[in-house]
Parts: sequence; structure tokens; C-alpha cells
Amino acid sequence: MGAEVVAVGVEWLGAFLSSTVQAGTVLLLAALGETYAERSGILNLGVEGMMIVGAAFSYLITLATGNDLLAILVAMGMATLLALIHAVISISFRLNQIVSGLAITLFGLGLSGYLTFPDVRVGILRAINPSLPMSMAYRQSTPKLPDISIPLLSQIPVIGPAFFRQNAIIYASYVLTVLLWWFLFKTRPGLNIRSVGENPAMADSLGINVYLIRYVATLLGGALAGLAGAFLFIGYQPFWVEGMTAGRGFVALALVIFAAWSPLRVMAGAYLFGGVEALQFRLQVLGYGTTAPQFLLMLPYVTTIIVLVALSYEMIRKKIGVPAALAIPYAREE
Amino acid sequence: MASTSKDAERKLLTRREFLGISGTAAAGIAVATAVAGGVIGYFAGQTSAPAAGPAKTFTKTITAAGPTKTITAARGLKAGYIYVGPVGDYGWTHAHDEGRKWADSHVPGWKSTYVESVPEAEASGAIESLISQGAELVITTSFGYMDATADAAAKHPDKYFVHISGYKSGAAGNATQNMSAAFAEFYQLYYLCGLAAGAVTKTGIMGYVAAYPTPEVIRHINAFALGANYSYRKRTGKDIKAYVVWLFSWFNPGKTRQAAMSLVEERNADVLAFTEDSPTTLEVAEEYTTKKGRKVWSFSHYSDMRKYGPHAHLTGQIVNWGPIYRDFYRMVETDSWETVDIWGRIGDFVPYRWRKPEDKSTCCKPEGVVYPAPVNSVVPSEWTTLIKQRYEDMKELIFEPFSLEGNLGEPIRDQDGKVRIDGKIVPRADHDMLWSMNWFVDYVKSPIPK
Repeated sequence: MGAEVVAVGVEWLGAFLSSTVQAGTVLLLAALGETYAERSGILNLGVEGMMIVGAAFSYLITLATGNDLLAILVAMGMATLLALIHAVISISFRLNQIVSGLAITLFGLGLSGYLTFPDVRVGILRAINPSLPMSMAYRQSTPKLPDISIPLLSQIPVIGPAFFRQNAIIYASYVLTVLLWWFLFKTRPGLNIRSVGENPAMADSLGINVYLIRYVATLLGGALAGLAGAFLFIGYQPFWVEGMTAGRGFVALALVIFAAWSPLRVMAGAYLFGGVEALQFRLQVLGYGTTAPQFLLMLPYVTTIIVLVALSYEMIRKKIGVPAALAIPYAREE
Repeated sequence: MASTSKDAERKLLTRREFLGISGTAAAGIAVATAVAGGVIGYFAGQTSAPAAGPAKTFTKTITAAGPTKTITAARGLKAGYIYVGPVGDYGWTHAHDEGRKWADSHVPGWKSTYVESVPEAEASGAIESLISQGAELVITTSFGYMDATADAAAKHPDKYFVHISGYKSGAAGNATQNMSAAFAEFYQLYYLCGLAAGAVTKTGIMGYVAAYPTPEVIRHINAFALGANYSYRKRTGKDIKAYVVWLFSWFNPGKTRQAAMSLVEERNADVLAFTEDSPTTLEVAEEYTTKKGRKVWSFSHYSDMRKYGPHAHLTGQIVNWGPIYRDFYRMVETDSWETVDIWGRIGDFVPYRWRKPEDKSTCCKPEGVVYPAPVNSVVPSEWTTLIKQRYEDMKELIFEPFSLEGNLGEPIRDQDGKVRIDGKIVPRADHDMLWSMNWFVDYVKSPIPK
């Protein structure tokens, strides 16, 4: 027997797009940072590890202090520290960026699991806030970041509920996307970043500090991966589960390529991937594909694989303009 | 452009060979440390290390220890538990660990140890490890440990084994006499939750976030739908509609959130029941109720979850494994072991089974191994009275949800209209029907995945 299928209306569309934006923002934030790192020539496969460390710290800090802003800042700081390790290894030591990135992902997954392991977690929480009751220390969830409705804008049908009844981090992501796009393509320092990723030797000869730019871009990537992790926990799914990033860091990496290293296209791509994630259960509930819901649950990963397969063709890669010096260490000639 | 970087590399090798090599070495150490740290941290985090590590080393020691029956000592007996998840997780393993503590505190002289997050493939190693540490009684708490437990029971005739949620035991005839099986059954409680749901729903639409299409989950959904339809039809004369979303995961708060929201927004469900190990569904209901101006109800699962959704909590199903474990402790302690296949329902493990009148009902208070969470006061008193009455009746198995009486006197039909329980040839569901249930009652409008 097939379930009866319901027709969808404007209200459904608004709610669906709202979920899309939420699921997409996790990817958007991580991918924005990775765009900058890759534009400067540094491939960072540690995004997944930085995200989960960000999520773990935002969990610990909100639980201990109830202060969301502090949690976000600490999450970003910790992820930036991981990015610093990657930067030292791949920029100063000029080692293989793929190995370093994967090592950081493994390290981040392990570290986050260890820090949030109940006995360890209680110790950390008590150290931060000695007056925290034990019953709180064993909680796995915290209050979700509140949604803020923007006056007037939130009343527009479909667009209002989708984009203007969200939480503060999502609003920040709109601003960040535009700002980072403008900076990368419309300013002198942005041009420097891009030239460092295309031809570091030439950039160096023009007096651009290649190392400094690559360091800053990589650290920015780490900070935004940390913010993505903090958003994943505080703003999207405020219930701690070990390994809750569930491969989203790698989806963000695929997304950067998919978006051809442009922040605006990253946003479009993030919402596309987010839409696929939001759709999997909505389709099931609507009565589509209910005899084999496993297929719907596979959708986000299938999309990622299709994108990556398409990009394995040299022609497509050339067309979208991979930064020429991506993942190639730069050593200055003397 | 590629040639430029190649040049750079060549220059590096000739001019700065020494620096290059030492730099590489330093970085190599850094990467190695990071990898090692990652691997160690990863396993520490996964917590499978404590299970896997000692388990293997101790395997030989225990076989050399030899079989000697020394269970007459009343003091200093040890029980060992094997958990599938971490004890800090809300849900299945957490509930077993609470049960372990309960049993320890109710039978003096017993001490227990546990190994958590044991992968199913590592179960036999973990069992050997517990036995080598002196465990007389080993309790394994996941379906996937069944065969490993049966093998260990055959190998250690002088030790005692209890497996949770499986079908192998000496009593069932498919394992040795020192192995018992036990399970705490929720379907009766889901029926009571359904009664409460049907009593408060405005839309008449029920949502159900379900883990896997197993007979256990299917009978929970059916029992819930039967209960909800009973009170809703009595109130309004109409039938409820229940929709199910499958997660294909026992524990996944992220997916659960999406699934629960879909049920509310697309089907207009205003009561959400669930079989998933986190309070996420209840939290989603709370968010709709307090922040989005839309009244949505949900339940407790395994333990009292009221703090996760104080405004959306209706009632729920709660388990206390403690009494089951306590009885096994006592059997071992007094050398009166008997292999059993326990199916703990309402009325089991209570001081006495006799039903009480509604005004003296012990419904919704901790009692036995399974009991309902406190019923929200929004449920009209005629329905809380019925919930109490049926709870008391089920203690003596006078009432059965899968019967004509549970379905307003009508036969229970499946989705194809076929009568499954007619009240004559099949008067009520028996153990076998419940344990192999693979059909939905007609009030459920979603199909079962093939």
C-alpha cells in the first residue's frame, strides 16, 4: 500500500526553505573559510576535524556557562588552533597538505570524543564552573539559539519564513558571504590572496608576503570551520552526539569545488545541499518513496558523489578554474 | 605555472638541503604526533579501547583458571555488564546502567563492573574479560551479543549469563541451561500513551518517528495507533490518521529533528510518538509549543524526560531494568538458578499483581520494570481514569490492547482491510503474533518499507 500523497502549498514551501537554510548554513560557513584557504593555495582536509572540535567546545561552554557568544568564540578559537597546526605543517614545513589535513580530522574527531566523554566532561565543566549542578553536567542538550524575526521582511510570503525568521548566526552568514565575496574580488588584499594561490613566485616578486597571506587564509578557514561547528550544535541540533558532524566537513570541501571558489556560488551550493538534506524526510512524510525510504536517506551523499565525479574530468576542472598552486607548497627562491 | 613551483623545489634541494631535511624531519615528527594523538584520542573517544584492549589479553588467563564452582559465598559476588553504547548517552545504555545501579543497591554484597561501547564483534572478548575479573553473572545488553553470549555460556558452565532482547536461552531450548533471556516490553505503555494522545489531539493526526521496521517497533506503532483511535473516536466519532517516518537509525538526533518537523509541518500532526533513543522529538514538540505558537505533544522514552519538554510532555514509557537484574542476582546468590525467558510487562516484578481500583491505582509511579510517565493534567479526567483502569487491568492481563476491547469492540484490521484479530478464532494477540508482527493497523497511513 502506498501512502496517500499530500499536495504542498506556500506554507510548506516556506517551512521547507527554512529547513534548507538551516541545514545549508552549516556547510556554508565551513565552505566559505575553505574557499579562502584554497584561494591562497592551501588545501585543508582538516575541516571536518575543526568543525567537530568547534561543536564540542560550544557544547561544553554553553553547558558550563550558558553563554552562547562565549561558546562561539571559544569554538572558533580552538578550531583556529588546529588550523595553525595545519598552517605550520603545510606552509612553513612544506609537507603534504592532504596527509596533514586528514591527520587533523582524525585528531579532531578523537579529541572531541575524549573531551565530551561523560567522566572527562564532568571534570572540565566543573573546572569552568564549580557551582554547576551534577544533573546539568550529565545533560547532552542545551537550549537552542533563539530565532529572531526581522520586522516587515519576515512577513513576506515564502521568503520571510525561509530567510528572515532565523537565528543570529544565520544572519551573520548572509553578511559574511557578501563581505567575503566583496573582499576577495573587489579589493587589493583580495587580489593578493588570489594571486598567491595562482602563482606564488610571481606574487612574491611583486612584494606580496606569500607566507603571511597563506597563514591568514588558513587560520580564517579554521575559524569559520569552528563557527560552522558551533552553529551545528547551538543553532541547528543542540544535542551532543559524538561525531555529530557526520561527514559535513567533507561535503563542505566538495561544495567549494562545486562552487568554483566563489563565496556567492558557495552560498547557492550550500542551500542546494541543505535542501537535499531537508528534503529526505519531507519526501517520506509526503508519501513519496515510502516503500524504500533508505533511498531518500542516501540523497545528500549521492549528490556529493555526482559532483565529485563530474569534477574528476580535466575539462570540467579547467573550465571552473582550480587555483593553479592549490596544494603545492611554496618555497621562496633566494 | 607548474614549472615555477618545480623550479622552486629544485632550488630548495640544492641550496638548502640541510635545512630542508631537518625541516622535513621536524614536520614528520609533528605529523606523526598528530596522527598518533588522533588515533589515540579517537579510540579514547570511541571508548571501544577499554573493551578491546584488556579483553584480548585476558582471554588465555581465564581458560587456565579452570572450572570450579564457588558460588556458595554469599558475599563479594560480582556481576559484569556489557553495553552497546556509552553510559552517558540518553536512552538504551543509560537505562541499563541505571538498572545496574538499582540492582546493586537492592542486593547487598554484590558488586558490578561494566564495559561500554562494545562493538558486536568484540563481545566474546569483553565477556571473557569480565569473567577473568571474577564475574559470576554476565549480562549482555544488545541483540547483537546473542550468539557470543550463547557461546560463552556453553564454554563456561559454571558461570551464569543473561542476554537482553534476544531469543536464545536454556528455557527456549536453544542455549545451555546457564543462559537466560530477558526483555522489557513497551507495547502496553504505547497503548496508554495513545489513549492520552487521542484525548488531547485537535487535528486527529498522529506522527511517529520510528527507528527501524522491526516487529518490536511495528507493534509499538500499532499499539499507539489503537490507543489514540480509541479515545479520539469516543470523543469525536472520527478515526485518527497516523503517519510514520523511518530513520533507519536507533540514535540520531539530527535526523530525528528533521523527521519530527516534517510530520508537524506536512501532515499537521499535533502528537509525536517515537522509538529513538534521544529526547529530540520531545524537544521539537516543545519548540513548536513555546516558540512557534503551535501546540504539539510528545512523550518520555526509557526515562522521565519531562525536563526536555515541560510544556509538551504528555506521558511516556519508562523502564527500570533493576528488578530483572535483582532477581538474577538473588538466583545466583542462593544457588537456585533456573533458566528463564523473561518478557517484562506491566504487572511483572511488582510486589503483587492484583489490580487496584482506579482511585488507588499505582499508575504512573515507579513500579515493576515498565510503567508510564506521569500523565499531564491537560488530559481530561475521564481519560486519565481510563488509563489507570487499563493499566491496572493489564497487571493481571485482563485487558490486552490487541483485542476487540482495545479497538472499541471492533475487529482489528490491517492496511489491506484483512481482519487480523476477529475476537473469535483469534481473540487477542499472543506472544508469537506480537513478536513477528509485520503489518500495520488500518489507522496507520504510511506503508512498512520492504
